[in-house]
Order: sequence, then structure tokens, then C-alpha cells
Amino acid sequence: MKTWSASSLPDVDNVNPYCYSVRLAGSWFVQKGAMIAYYGDVRFDAVTAFASRQAWAAASFSSPLYVQDWVVAEGNGVVLLADRGFDVNSFDLAEGNLTVRATNLLGFAPTLELKQSIVPGFVTLLGTGTFLASSNGPVIFVEPPFRADPEALLGWADCPSPAVHHDAQWMMASLRGALQGAFGRASGEERQYDFTGAGTVLLQSSEVQREDPALLRLVTEQALQLTPQQSGVLGAELAARARQQQV
Amino acid sequence: MAYELLNSKVVAVDVTGQRPVLSRRGAMLGYSGRVAFAPVHGQGTGVGGMVGAALASESVPMMASTGDGKALFGHRGLHVTVLDLDGSAPLLVEADRLLVHDAALQTSVQFLGQGGLKAMVRGMATGQGLFTTQVNGVGQVALLSHGGAFPLQVQPGETVGVDPQAYVASKGQLSLDLSAKVGWREAVGRGSGEAFQIHVTGTGTVWVQASEQKVKA
Amino acid sequence: MATLTADGRVLQVQLHGDAVRAVTGSMVAFTGAVQFKHAGAGGGDGMRAALKRRVAGESVSLMECSGSGTAYLAVEARQVAVVDLVGDTLSVESESLLAVSPGLTLDVKFAGMSGISSGQGLATTTVSGQGQVALMSEGPLIALEVAPGQPLVVDPDAFIASRGQLSTSFVSGVSWKSLVGEGSGEPFSIRFDGAGTVLVQPAER
Repeated sequence: MKTWSASSLPDVDNVNPYCYSVRLAGSWFVQKGAMIAYYGDVRFDAVTAFASRQAWAAASFSSPLYVQDWVVAEGNGVVLLADRGFDVNSFDLAEGNLTVRATNLLGFAPTLELKQSIVPGFVTLLGTGTFLASSNGPVIFVEPPFRADPEALLGWADCPSPAVHHDAQWMMASLRGALQGAFGRASGEERQYDFTGAGTVLLQSSEVQREDPALLRLVTEQALQLTPQQSGVLGAELAARARQQQV
Repeated sequence: MAYELLNSKVVAVDVTGQRPVLSRRGAMLGYSGRVAFAPVHGQGTGVGGMVGAALASESVPMMASTGDGKALFGHRGLHVTVLDLDGSAPLLVEADRLLVHDAALQTSVQFLGQGGLKAMVRGMATGQGLFTTQVNGVGQVALLSHGGAFPLQVQPGETVGVDPQAYVASKGQLSLDLSAKVGWREAVGRGSGEAFQIHVTGTGTVWVQASEQKVKA
Repeated sequence: MATLTADGRVLQVQLHGDAVRAVTGSMVAFTGAVQFKHAGAGGGDGMRAALKRRVAGESVSLMECSGSGTAYLAVEARQVAVVDLVGDTLSVESESLLAVSPGLTLDVKFAGMSGISSGQGLATTTVSGQGQVALMSEGPLIALEVAPGQPLVVDPDAFIASRGQLSTSFVSGVSWKSLVGEGSGEPFSIRFDGAGTVLVQPAER
């Protein structure tokens, strides 16, 4: 087993397929919990706290929805990042954009800008610089036209945001097979994200998605647009579901 | 090659008019081309003439992929092992480990053990039954395992012991016996944890995973 | 002499009429004549050991694999690595210990990290003597050197083992996990000073 030291760790590269080393001389955005070890003089601050001192951080991290889940690592040292033993991949953007599942984004250089994607649970990175994303198994790159299971979708680059496709034959077969009851627990095959145009789609093996804390905040925020009557209907539905799950 | 491993956890399958496939429902990751999917339920029904191919096991809903294109399959980050069956010997595998297989292969339910032993196997050792599915015929099959399945060769005069939870599949002229050594230590929770073992004898291969975790829905 | 060989996510134990201690229930397969029986808890038996275990929150249950043949050991498809000890001591996060070759001594570590909880507790088991230790981790282990003037700070959830002349202290105020009162407990990390090696996994428990 090779033993690494502060001086021998790579500047910006994988230590092994599941761990990435970033030599800091300045700052990096890091998802909370992605850090496993560090050498040197490194400070970790909440993005909000950091941005109150350094205004540029707020401009780079323009997603109030995700800001609570991120910190800024600042100082001089070497930081090691990893996520659940998943593969960690680095992506270099040059005046480009890539949209990635928010829970799989581990860190990015402050030269990049983060924005929320229109697709819930995803964020878009814009500009020039390096970012790190984890995947369950190595990333699979495919080209449109392609239809992807939403759970297996890791991200996409250059192509337009996907449309939702419903499989007509699946719906018919389900009806014929009197599976309406089972339809509630959707298996995923009847609904896919449809990618068209030129670009690249990134896939991983489907997984139980890690709880995305931002999703609750997003839904809560959107619920504000409901009329009082609609809010009542939603509230009753959620209460009924909570009761059902308790049983 | 109709089944191509894209990495250790994802398999790409060429679906053609001559070669439809059956897969675990919910395990299709994406596709290109003109592929249609339809749920298959119960034995003897099925879609598109694939009568009898569907699994009887109600615990593992399956679906059929037909048409012309390429579909990717994977399930919850579990490892995928592709096996070629030449028809010389059936494959014994738990139903929930079948990720995708040629629709032309025949599957039938098979129980290990008899009487009281069967009840013990089903109830105590595994929770939901052992090698409940026998796969016959010529074609390809992709299996799920936690962390990958490694093959152990079985030769005459030699016994291979396998933890029932770690057992993935077996193929060949094999006899599988469940050995239960329940002593008082097991009863009070101080045992070695290896009270149940499957003893495999004969000629063939048994696939084992590096984990005692079952496939979750 | 029994030998331990790491093969990805599986440990192969070659037995030649001797015995190896391993985590209870870790056998996935075996060939030949191998028996498995309960072998007490890590840290030895007796009142004193039992008391220490309770204080440290330790509960490594071990079994003895004996006979002649090959045993295949694995837990939850975790990566396996074998460390050779040459009369020194390895401190192992208790749930990361898979097996030890004959002749090694296991003890529960009292001072340092034990007792302070990172949610699950970070009790360590020390293994000393001459022989082989098999460790488990989520993803392959990363060995990091600690040298004088070159301290290392580690997320307790990524810590697997350490060896050498090391002293540990807790660094708080590092806002990795809990920033605005989310989660439980004060966020802290472990700082290693001195000269030695720390093994970490590319995952958080």
C-alpha cells in the first residue's frame, strides 16, 4: 500500500478512483461531509458566513436552496474528498455548462458559478474550472437521442434540458393487466427523461437516492404559490400519507 | 455480444425482434432506439407471446423489452455478472438476483430441501427462499450481487461450504444440501454465526458474493 | 502457519491445522475441512476486559476458524486489506477489523478516542505482536503519513486505523457537517501529531 504525504499527494487529481486530492492555495466550494482528511492550514466556513466577508462567494454560489449544504474551504494545504466509496470524477469546464445531480456534486473551483437547474434536484455549473462529482460505478456517457430513467440520471452537458416521456405501451399493458393498483408504486419504466439535440448524457447505476435536504425546501417554497384552498387539499393529503406510513 | 458490461454495475443489452429480453422491473436505466417495455405478471400470461417465461415469484415483478435498440440495466449500484448458458446444465439462482435474461430461456420455480427442512430454509435461513428459480435453455443471463460474485469450482470428492446469504447461483451437476448445526450457543446468540451452511458437492461452479446482504426491492 | 490474503472484497484464509480469529458471521464460503466456533469478544475474556469493553462501548464478537482448507471471509462487500505487524501495535476502528492471524494480541483502547462519540462511537481495538491483520473499508484504504510538523486532520467517520508514535487530539469548530444546528453532537475531527501512518477510507460511516 502506497503511503501518501502532504508533499506527495496530487495537486488536483484522483488518489484512487474513490478519493480526490485538491491542493489549496485559496478557496474551494466543498459539500458538507465530502471531506475525509486534510493536511495544512485549512479553515472551513459556511458559505453564508464566508460570503458576508467575501462578496464574490455569493455571486459564485447563486442557489439559496443549496447554500446550507455547502462550506468554503480556505487556506493552504491538501484536502481529500470522497463520498460513500463512490467513484469520484473530475470535470474540467472551459466556458461550458454541465448540469449534475445536486447530491453527487462534491466540490468546485470558485471560478465556476453554480445555479439551480429547472429540473428539481439538479444544479448547473457554468464557466471555466474544475468540479468533482461522485457516481455509483463509473460514469456512463451516452449521446442523444436517449431516454433515461430519472433515478439513473447523473447529469447532462450541452444538450437542452430533458422533457418527460411516458411510455404509451406500458400504460396500455398496465391497464390490460389490471395493474392499476400496482401502478401507484411506479417502477420507473413508464416514465423517462427524453433527451434530444446534440450533447452528452451522464448515467450511473440506479440507486436509492440519498435524501436531498434541498428538495424539502424547494417543495415548501413552491407550495407558497398555492391558493389557501389548494394548500388545504395538499395538507390533508400529506397528513393522510403520514398516517398511512405510521401504520 | 448481445450483453455488454459497460462497467461492473451496468449491462447494455441489444434488443432485437428475434431477441426480446425479460428484466427486473425498475432496473432499466435508459435506452436508445425503438424499444418498448411492458410489465409481465404471473405465470402463463405475459406479453408478446412470451408465455411461461415470466416468473411465478410474485416478489419480483418483471417486464419485457421488445423492439429494436439498446437498453441499459442496473439495480441500486449492485454488481452485475453476465453468464452464458449453453443448455448443458441448468442455472439455479434466487429470483430476485435475475437482472435481465433472454426471453427464450425458460425459468421455473425450484425449491431446495423437503418437508421440515424446506420450511426451515425458507423461513429461517434466507427469509424468502433459496434458489427458487431454475433457468434452462441456451442464452445469456445477467445476475445481481452485492460487491460482485466470485466463482468457486466444485470437483468430485470435494465439498464447498457456502453461507446461504452469500450464495448467488450455481451451475452444473451439483447437489446442494443445507446443513444446520443449531446448538445451544446459537440459541443464546453467542454462536459463530455460521450455523447454516450449504454444502455443495459434484461437478460445477458456485457463485458467491462478498456479503450477506440480500437484493432489496 | 495460517496466511491471510486480500482479494478485493474477500479475504482468503489458508489454514494448515491452525486457527484464525475473525468477526462473527463473516464466512461466505469455504473449501476443505474448516470449523467455525464462537471465540469470545475482542480484547480477551474476564471481568477486566468485559468492564473495559463496556466503558469503551466496544462489541467486537469474534469466531475461531480452524482446520485445514481455505475460508473466504467478507462483510457487506467491503474492501479488504491485510497489514503486516512486526512487533508493533495497530489501532483499529473496531468495526473495521475482519481477522487476525494466530499469536496476535487484541485489546480495547481506553484513552484517546474511545468514549467520545461521533454518533456511532469511535472505539478502537489495538492489535499487537507479530502477524497479519485484515481490515475492512468502504472503498480501498488510503495510507497517509504523519511526520513532525506535518499533522493530519481526519474525519472520524473516515478513520480506519493508525500505527506509529502518534498522539491524538480533537479539533472542534471545523464546520464539516453540522453548521446551523443540523445533525447531532458537536462537529469535531481528529488531529494526529507525531510520526506514523493513518489509514482512511474514501467514505463516511
